[in-house]
Amino acid sequence: MSNAPAEEIAAEEIDLTEANEIIDKYLTLPGNLMPVLQGIQDAYGFVPKPTIDLVAERLNVYPSQIYGVLTFYAQFHLKPRGKFIIRVCVGTACHVQGAERITETFFGRLGIGHAETTEDLRYTFEKVACLGACGMAPLAMVNDDTYGKMTVQKVDEIIETYNARPMK
Amino acid sequence: MVNLTIDGKQVAVEKDATIYDAAKACGIKIPILCHDKKLHPFGGCRMCLVEVEQMKGRLIPACTTPVTEGMIVQTTTDEIVKARKLVLELLLLKHPIDCPVCDAAGDCDLQNLTYEYKVNMNRFVDEKFNHEIDYENPLIERDMNRCIHCGKCARICDEIVSYGAYTFINRGIEAKMGTEFDGPLNCEFCGSCVSVCPVGALNSRPFKFKARWWALQKTKSVCSYCGTGCQLTLGSKDGKVLTTIYDENQGFHNGQLCTRGRFGYQFVNSDKRLTAPMIRKNGNLQEATWEEALAEVTSRLSAGKSDPASVAALATPRLTNEELYLFGKLFRGTVGTDNIDHSAGYAHEALTKGAVASFGVAASPAEIADVQKSNLLLVVKSDAYETHPVIGFEINLGVKRKGIALRIVSDKKGKLTRLPGAKTTVHAPGNEVALFNALCKSVIDQGLAAEGVAGLDALKAAVADATAEKAGVTAEEIAAIAKEFASAEKALIILPIGQGYPGHNAALANAAANLAILTGQYGKEGAGLLIMGEKNNSQGAVDMGIYPKGTGLNAAAIIDGCANGNIKTLFVAGENPVVSYPNRKKVEKALENVEFMVVSDLFLTETAAMADVVLPACSFAEKSGTFTSLGRRVQNVRKAIPAVGLAKSDFDILNALSQALGGARYNNQGEVFTEIAANVPAYKGLTQAGLKDEGAVYPVALSAKLVPAAAQASAPVAGKLTLVTGSALYHCGTMSRFGEGPMYVCPDAYAELNVADAAALKVAEGDQVTVTSGTGAVQVVAKVGKRVPQGVVFSPYHFGEGSVNTITDGSEVTYVTVAKK
Ligand code: SF4
Ligand code: SF4
Ligand code: SF4
Ligand code: FES
Ligand code: FES
Repeated sequence: MSNAPAEEIAAEEIDLTEANEIIDKYLTLPGNLMPVLQGIQDAYGFVPKPTIDLVAERLNVYPSQIYGVLTFYAQFHLKPRGKFIIRVCVGTACHVQGAERITETFFGRLGIGHAETTEDLRYTFEKVACLGACGMAPLAMVNDDTYGKMTVQKVDEIIETYNARPMK
Repeated sequence: MVNLTIDGKQVAVEKDATIYDAAKACGIKIPILCHDKKLHPFGGCRMCLVEVEQMKGRLIPACTTPVTEGMIVQTTTDEIVKARKLVLELLLLKHPIDCPVCDAAGDCDLQNLTYEYKVNMNRFVDEKFNHEIDYENPLIERDMNRCIHCGKCARICDEIVSYGAYTFINRGIEAKMGTEFDGPLNCEFCGSCVSVCPVGALNSRPFKFKARWWALQKTKSVCSYCGTGCQLTLGSKDGKVLTTIYDENQGFHNGQLCTRGRFGYQFVNSDKRLTAPMIRKNGNLQEATWEEALAEVTSRLSAGKSDPASVAALATPRLTNEELYLFGKLFRGTVGTDNIDHSAGYAHEALTKGAVASFGVAASPAEIADVQKSNLLLVVKSDAYETHPVIGFEINLGVKRKGIALRIVSDKKGKLTRLPGAKTTVHAPGNEVALFNALCKSVIDQGLAAEGVAGLDALKAAVADATAEKAGVTAEEIAAIAKEFASAEKALIILPIGQGYPGHNAALANAAANLAILTGQYGKEGAGLLIMGEKNNSQGAVDMGIYPKGTGLNAAAIIDGCANGNIKTLFVAGENPVVSYPNRKKVEKALENVEFMVVSDLFLTETAAMADVVLPACSFAEKSGTFTSLGRRVQNVRKAIPAVGLAKSDFDILNALSQALGGARYNNQGEVFTEIAANVPAYKGLTQAGLKDEGAVYPVALSAKLVPAAAQASAPVAGKLTLVTGSALYHCGTMSRFGEGPMYVCPDAYAELNVADAAALKVAEGDQVTVTSGTGAVQVVAKVGKRVPQGVVFSPYHFGEGSVNTITDGSEVTYVTVAKK
């Protein structure tokens, strides 16, 4: 496919400099769509719509196909995500140990549901199917930190801890 | 060849055939849902499962499995039937059973197979889908609840249309056929996806609830828009054309159509059609009888017989060959005037003069099938796709599937530019001849000219100072194209021509032909020059001799003659000079000045509204005859419905006039074809019956000659933009304005500007702008993008409101200013 150079695409709405740099890096490599999208996700925290249009134009891929890829892989996000991603396991072991109550408590405390993000972009909440530490069920994770043997009280402690963390 | 046995039958097929192909070849039907002969195999539905003795123990899909020597295949065992039933049960699990209100009923593969396999109960239960139905556009309804995930729509939109509107989105149970951001469909609306959808998930909205599929009368005919000559099947009922029916075995294009062909047929049943003759009385057009109207015309024409130079006639190249032939015979023979033309005087010089001078025939030396047989396509103007979309599909297919190299020389970018490996050279507007001359010079300089080409010295001298710079491109680009073109095994030049393309004239045809001749790229398959006439019968009009010969006036001179009083009687059959000829004000004044003008047309066009007598004419669906496509294929047009109101075919009108004026009289149009076959050498031996469904490509005997072509120098004018006119996406002439499809895709005139120019002028997409030239000004909507280069404005010519011919005067480039209203 004929790949367009960077200068042809003017920035719109959001700053596309970084996205352009990522595309530049992979422009001539075959199979470049996945690494480009991953790079963009890393840089922006999600895949903003203008970057999809940019990738479509510069890599000469249909926007619909990019959207197909983005909705197929769970790793991609089309909306801004919180600084702290709270994952609560609802796999079999955790379920048996009362994961339901933990998720409900988080919903109540944060005012958001599954796969949603708080307006201040501090938290995103996700239910997940088994985090692979069933021995510590019920299990929650905040970014890379693991919290085993979760209780309602621990939910409040977690929220207090991360409320205190700076956003930048 | 590979030999195998299917259901006990011995079959020999090509080695790249699949089991499905092999079975089909020997008349054994294997059911399919996700397979389509035009598309890459997908193997997703499992409907085509068969048993292969050598692979015992499992059922394998026939549509994706290649044949191997000695294969023994069973296509219907108990086990296979059971498996197919299971597939159907699973499909029906989520699928709503709304056949009674589904427009696909009767034409639905799922319904038909359910019937055939007697699936009258389901062992499984599940909730039905609950997707929202997309009613956002007037042409295509998307009901994903009925979708069986066969992927055909996505494949055709990618592989053939190259638009890529669809993809599977989400995953697992949530997966569905979706669009970008799961939004409403927003595309070219060619309807290709609707045509291949095996169920009622994609529907044509104009056809919705109009008729049950089996109640339609199906008539095979030819599309009446562009010169491609796509075959189509009209579905009609109660005297109305209600839809076009997809037939994958029809035409070189396997049933593919563009938006005009697929959704543009509504002009036939438009309530704006003229239904009775009209005569101007006290300044107003009033309904009259045919007798009155024809008597009036007859008396004018017979008066003209004594002063034939005062009579002129213009015909649209949309008429049938038979009508055009009769038109020529009436005016040239009976009335005795040579002032006849078919807008050739403005647009088709490339065919009528250029091709004759270069190749000795007034036709393309190549045919449409050559597109896919070539190794390199050199396309002039990026929008060959837009003028002749189904040829665009052929180009897409060739480039994507066969790896044919694509080179584009154009004054702007277009869709072809984005095809894999395509290279576009953007030149300054109006420099096409200079560019081809530079290419010829480069071929000579690089020592790539074929041996013993006659007239080489003269050409050398003529192109001695043809430089890349003069064409506004770089020397490297010219050298590269010249080299690739000359060294390709087979290379084909594709040249669109038409009313919107001033400068695509005889000189350009000669300049392009020179490149082909110089490099030996002609007279063999996959090579040569394809001159793409704009209208459905542009080639036929040339073949029937509808252009001035000897001292006759061409279209431009006829308009001048009207203006200066030399032409007193003007007969116009289907042309619309007011909108389509350059310099609208001048044309209007000229037509006001002519003493007597008669117009036969389907609609009260801008021109017909000025006439003294208006005759209601039939559309292509209401008559039989032949059209000749740009690839010289003569094809049968068949009557599908009776005439609307009191309309008569142009054949009947011309036949009546001819008889009244003491000329020829025919019993039917077929008699005229017999006469054509006797008098027009290329049509020798053809009969209408013999053309059958596929038509016939008439041969050409080429006598190639290098004809030096002089390039016009066009220097930019300070402070002005260069106006490029042409075809809008999916319009054709001024007739498509009466079709629902084209008017949805592109309802209004517009001016397309480069983002940089737009920013400088403070113009945003959708703003009203005034485009002003030396001859006038028009108001149109602005489009902003990167397709047009800086300094250039593109505007399509089809529209009556904001018609660009108000500001063009027929010269190759027009300099304009653009200002926000
Ligand atoms: S109508 Fe044509 S362009 Fe639009 S989605 Fe269907 S196939 Fe693609
Ligand atoms: S919409 Fe039709 S063509 Fe497209 S995947 Fe669904 S069933 Fe197949
Ligand atoms: S307009 Fe031309 S390309 Fe489109 S369907 Fe008709 S003949 Fe084919
Ligand atoms: S089920 Fe929760 S960690 Fe495995
Ligand atoms: S037709 Fe063969 S798998 Fe669908």
